[in-house]
Amino acid sequence: MPAQRDLQLALRVMQIRHWQHIVNEAMKKGVMGAVHTAFGHEAIAVAVSTMMQTEDQLVLTHRNIAYNLARAGALRPIYDEYKQRPSGVSRARLGSMNMANPPRGLPYTSSILGNNMPVACGLALAQQVLGKSGIVTVLTGDGAMEEGTFYESLQFSKSQKLRIIFVVENNKYAMASTPEDRRCPIAIEHICRAMDIPFLKLEGNLVADYAMQLEECRRAVLDRQGPSCIEVDLLNLNRHAGATPGWPTDPMNIDASRGLVVRESVYDPVHVLKQRLAPDVYAGIEQQVLSETWSD
Amino acid sequence: MANYITSLNQMIAARCAKVPRGVLFGQNINTGTFISGLSKNLTVAEGGRIINNANCENTLCGAGFGMMLGGVHAVYFAKQLDFMLLGMDHFCNTFNFIRCSRNLESLGSFQIIMLVCDQGFQGPQSSFDSYGDFCSIARIPCYTLNNNRDAEDILDMQLAVPGFRMIALSSRLCRTEFLQLEKVYRSDDCSVFQYTEGADATIVGFNFAFHEGHLLFQKMQERGLSAELFSANYVPEPSWDRIIESVARTRRLVVLDDSKSVHLPCYQLLDAIHEAGISFRRVIVTRKQVDFGMTDDKFPVDYEGIVSQLAAAPSPV
Repeated sequence: MPAQRDLQLALRVMQIRHWQHIVNEAMKKGVMGAVHTAFGHEAIAVAVSTMMQTEDQLVLTHRNIAYNLARAGALRPIYDEYKQRPSGVSRARLGSMNMANPPRGLPYTSSILGNNMPVACGLALAQQVLGKSGIVTVLTGDGAMEEGTFYESLQFSKSQKLRIIFVVENNKYAMASTPEDRRCPIAIEHICRAMDIPFLKLEGNLVADYAMQLEECRRAVLDRQGPSCIEVDLLNLNRHAGATPGWPTDPMNIDASRGLVVRESVYDPVHVLKQRLAPDVYAGIEQQVLSETWSD
Repeated sequence: MANYITSLNQMIAARCAKVPRGVLFGQNINTGTFISGLSKNLTVAEGGRIINNANCENTLCGAGFGMMLGGVHAVYFAKQLDFMLLGMDHFCNTFNFIRCSRNLESLGSFQIIMLVCDQGFQGPQSSFDSYGDFCSIARIPCYTLNNNRDAEDILDMQLAVPGFRMIALSSRLCRTEFLQLEKVYRSDDCSVFQYTEGADATIVGFNFAFHEGHLLFQKMQERGLSAELFSANYVPEPSWDRIIESVARTRRLVVLDDSKSVHLPCYQLLDAIHEAGISFRRVIVTRKQVDFGMTDDKFPVDYEGIVSQLAAAPSPV
């Protein structure tokens, strides 16, 4: 029998999946502009959000939907921001790619690759100077880590003993190209080793496992007073941006009527839960999630 | 009397020492030449930091904004404007995010205090001087420190005040005498300073050309002419009214702008005067040709020619 906490984590992953389906269906209908949805990113998003304590801060990228949903705990403020409504989480000022939520620990989100890591360093330095107790977690990806600021920010954070976790979401794509298409392999572990920065790789997309490892990482960052870097092995199960499918012959097809699971693969955190949980437990959570009514 | 760089260093250091929990940072900030004397003798108030950083300008600019978001007063001392090109993403994108979504009064502050290499002889890659034009790209308020009066007001009114701005010193003035002037007027936003009153011309120095404007004023005095002397800073939505009123009286305007770019901040003033429907004679002194190689970057001004022109020309009706 899974622990109550694990069931709560599963519920949150499946809720975020359901909410993303609602956004994707709205985009298909043409009633919403293009959003960088994140089918496949739900487990790490819930784990990061669960790890966060009162003074912690989270700095995001353009593909921020799963994290914003996890921190807000509801679709409405996020959806309304996409619709440019004053009731949006950022009062219709920031839109999808810069969506932030300072009261929930999201002070800054950037749509420019590599831009957010230096800002996260500054936030972590401010925490240190002001004697606060939190840490800063900053998201990046296998594309943005090609930017010079990735190296610069690792160096800066190590030099200044900043309490910061760099999370590299390696979803294997920068827009339409894979790392193999555009560059030589980059072993992040080796870059971190060169600067004596602890490195951790997360695989499997099981939310309870990720939450536990992140909490250990957070404790280590506080104990050591220095940065850590985590690479997460995942896949973005939809298009780069906009509705999936985006056109009639789009090879990818996501349809809410087929249930929460998008792909029967280890890269789908909901599928992973379906494999791990007893069928009746999974069905119960799914029913709870899908019973939420929604109107535009 | 201490020279330009020594005097300004003392003024800056005295004010930085009072910034509560200020973070002063930059490359070689507390060692070597102390950024050509700019960052000598820096101290901080209790809880503050002085950080000698590695060479990562983009990250330093982003970190400055991060500290500002985090409630800290951050001061980045930089060697030259050329290096700030590496931070342009943050000046445009990061600053846009902050100013469109946050109440600046609730945040800390970020200021970049730097030298601008306008003294020449440092090669084609260290002579970028178009400070006002650079800041206009992202609508960043920027201030030049020219003399005791504008330096005092700008540092008192801008340093560690919530928001972001750049404050720059001229390399070619470093060893010169620090001008001691009286102030006639200052706009609330520090975009315009006036130092003298007169009847025969209005002189406005842009970018780092105020000293040439001051020299022109002195040459006019020697010929028995008087002028109203101004310095202007690029500030979004600047307060040009005082200069426009002056031109309406003198009917003669001399503008000096040593920027190397094509879109000069002084053209904004000329547009505003034309919009006001004032007829006036004008002398515009800019860099007509720019040598991109290693060259003497002195800003050539034909003082005698301009004074003769002003003395001979009747006021337009």
